[in-house]
Amino acid sequence: MATDTLVSISLGKEKQAAMDRFLAKGFPTNKWEEWKYASLKSLNDIDWNWNSSETPTNASSTSIEGSLQLQSLNGKFTTVGSLPNGVEILEFSAFAAQNPDFITKWEKRNQILDQNSLYDLNDALTTTHQVIWVKAGTTLPQPIVHQLLADVSIASAIQSKLLIYIEKGANVTWVDDLRSNSSSETILSNYVQEIWVEESANLTFVKTQDFALKTTHVDHTFIFQQANSQVDMFTFSINGGFVRNNLHFYVDGENVLSNLNGLYVPGNNEFIDSHTVVDHRKPNSESNELYKGVLLGNSTGVFNGKIFVRPDAQKTNAFQSCKNVLASDKATMNTKPQLEIWADDVKCSHGTTTGQLSDEALFYMRSRGISEEAAKTLLMLAFVQQVIDKVEIPELKESISDRVVAKIQQALGV
Amino acid sequence: MLSIKNLHARIGEKEILRGINLEIKAGEVHAIMGPNGSGKSTLASVLAGREDYEVTEGSVEFQGKDLLDLAPEERAAEGVFLAFQYPVEIPGVSTTNFMKSAVNEIRKYRGEEPLDAVQFLKMFKEKMAYVNIDQSLLSRSLNEGFSGGEKKRNEIFQMAVLDPKLAILDETDSGLDIDALRIVAEGVNKLKSPTNATIVVTHYQRLLDYIVPDFVHVLYKGRIVKSGTKELALELEEKGYDWIISALVD
Ligand SMILES: Nc1ncnc2c1ncn2[C@@H]1O[C@H](COP(=O)(O)OP(=O)(O)OP(=O)(O)O)[C@@H](O)[C@H]1O
Ligand SMILES: [Mg+2]
Repeated sequence: MATDTLVSISLGKEKQAAMDRFLAKGFPTNKWEEWKYASLKSLNDIDWNWNSSETPTNASSTSIEGSLQLQSLNGKFTTVGSLPNGVEILEFSAFAAQNPDFITKWEKRNQILDQNSLYDLNDALTTTHQVIWVKAGTTLPQPIVHQLLADVSIASAIQSKLLIYIEKGANVTWVDDLRSNSSSETILSNYVQEIWVEESANLTFVKTQDFALKTTHVDHTFIFQQANSQVDMFTFSINGGFVRNNLHFYVDGENVLSNLNGLYVPGNNEFIDSHTVVDHRKPNSESNELYKGVLLGNSTGVFNGKIFVRPDAQKTNAFQSCKNVLASDKATMNTKPQLEIWADDVKCSHGTTTGQLSDEALFYMRSRGISEEAAKTLLMLAFVQQVIDKVEIPELKESISDRVVAKIQQALGV
Repeated sequence: MLSIKNLHARIGEKEILRGINLEIKAGEVHAIMGPNGSGKSTLASVLAGREDYEVTEGSVEFQGKDLLDLAPEERAAEGVFLAFQYPVEIPGVSTTNFMKSAVNEIRKYRGEEPLDAVQFLKMFKEKMAYVNIDQSLLSRSLNEGFSGGEKKRNEIFQMAVLDPKLAILDETDSGLDIDALRIVAEGVNKLKSPTNATIVVTHYQRLLDYIVPDFVHVLYKGRIVKSGTKELALELEEKGYDWIISALVD
């Protein structure tokens, strides 16, 4: 079995504990409730290189202009160019030494890690990781652009991990541009991000995922929000053989606003799974979750949206909506909203829809001379554009739009 | 221009059109009236090519072509236009983008060059004047959140843009205030020419004061049970449908 080779890697005490946790469970299988549609059992059959030293080809920086350009190339983190004022990047241990108060809080962060064995694998194999530290009150004129690129010539399991620490009153836009090269060998990309948004800080986070068919990407994005902070999160899953997103929001303060936007357009032989958690732990906060999917070809999609409203979290407003269009009769979508509410004075709503395009709308459009294929395309593009249009960086919006539009048009043959 | 012969259509097991005969020549205006549920909108939908209805008998010839053989978009390209009784909301698509796609697809069908942005701008401006419609309405998602009257006005704007040979107006007057009714009717009249024809479906004589019909037909239970000139509409306004229905031998 592939994981046998992990046993011989020598690790420190804590890392070994994480490794033991992973080895006890192994890769997720569809016997686990959280992975019902998403078995990774087949990863056992691959002879993984656990520590790639290859350098990706095409590792050019992205076209998005940023105040700061960062890269994770096959799991190796680098800073391109200089740091802007108000930003520091250092190893976790150095950061921890300077921020003992934070570490106390961090140790009590209490993430929900049920059935998340890949988090442990990442923990075990990332002997060190970087902290991107945005100092209090810093407002960057342009986004921080982080490009994660994977490209290997032998099957490789790649671990990437970042901690983003946004201090009080800072305003940050983060562009997370994730890709693997189409010519690459098999990849397991296992990516952990912990993002701390302190009091009155604002974060806009735009994640784009554009992976090859032979890539399995598992994303763990855990966001911890303190009082009066706002996070606008976007996840655009454009391509990928197997993409599993674990997006968690931990609302640890009052008057927090959390907006979760998602768009996925899986095509032939692709699988995209969005598992989200919004954990309201404090009162008077609001979360809005809006996910949309267009399922092309014989693709499969999963949406599982959990909302927890803890006993202390009175006067929480939590809304969730997930709308899907099946563009082909071979496509499948599985949706499961899960609300667990322990407080009584709350407003929560959720709704999921999965269907074909409206016949009424198609006939109306065709009666004006628009062909059936063009009408379908127009309706689907309008459907996805409503999420894309919320991105406020013009060149990024355009790049996402171009890729999504091309994918839909290609699948529909127009 | 349009020749409907013994047209039967049904939806599921229910026969709704039960032998319609109608001849329409270029330059004519025909009004179709009749009680609720008599099949007026069904006839309009069948002519526009709605696939939910199954034509079981009869034929429809339009400008020498078998209309029933054509897809809805082909009928539009041949010059058929239906102003819907209930225009459909299309979220995320503006009227202008919608009309650009429609115009260029029709031009493609006819083997014409597509229009460019400048040509569209000029054309839209001209057509907006026909129905006194505002640019801001045309930039919004098509019909989404439009008032009843705005939807109807938008239908006539689309008609003006597409300049059809045969326009079918299904209760375009319902939901319009008095001024809007006049404006919309004037728009329709401006679009009238000796080479096109109009079918007006309405419940009210009032519209026919503005759009004066050459013929008035009464549709009842899927058949045209009476035809006449514009005076018939006045008579219907006064006496209702009972006198016609009771004279029928089923
Ligand atoms: N999709 C459908 N399924 C079942 N019955 C239908 C359907 N569409 C129309 N019908 C029925 O066909 C009949 C004719 O409907 P239609 O809409 O053509 O009437 P109409 O003359 O336009 O009425 P109105 O004046 O109220 O607009 C009605 O009895 C209606 O219920
Ligand atoms: Mg009707």
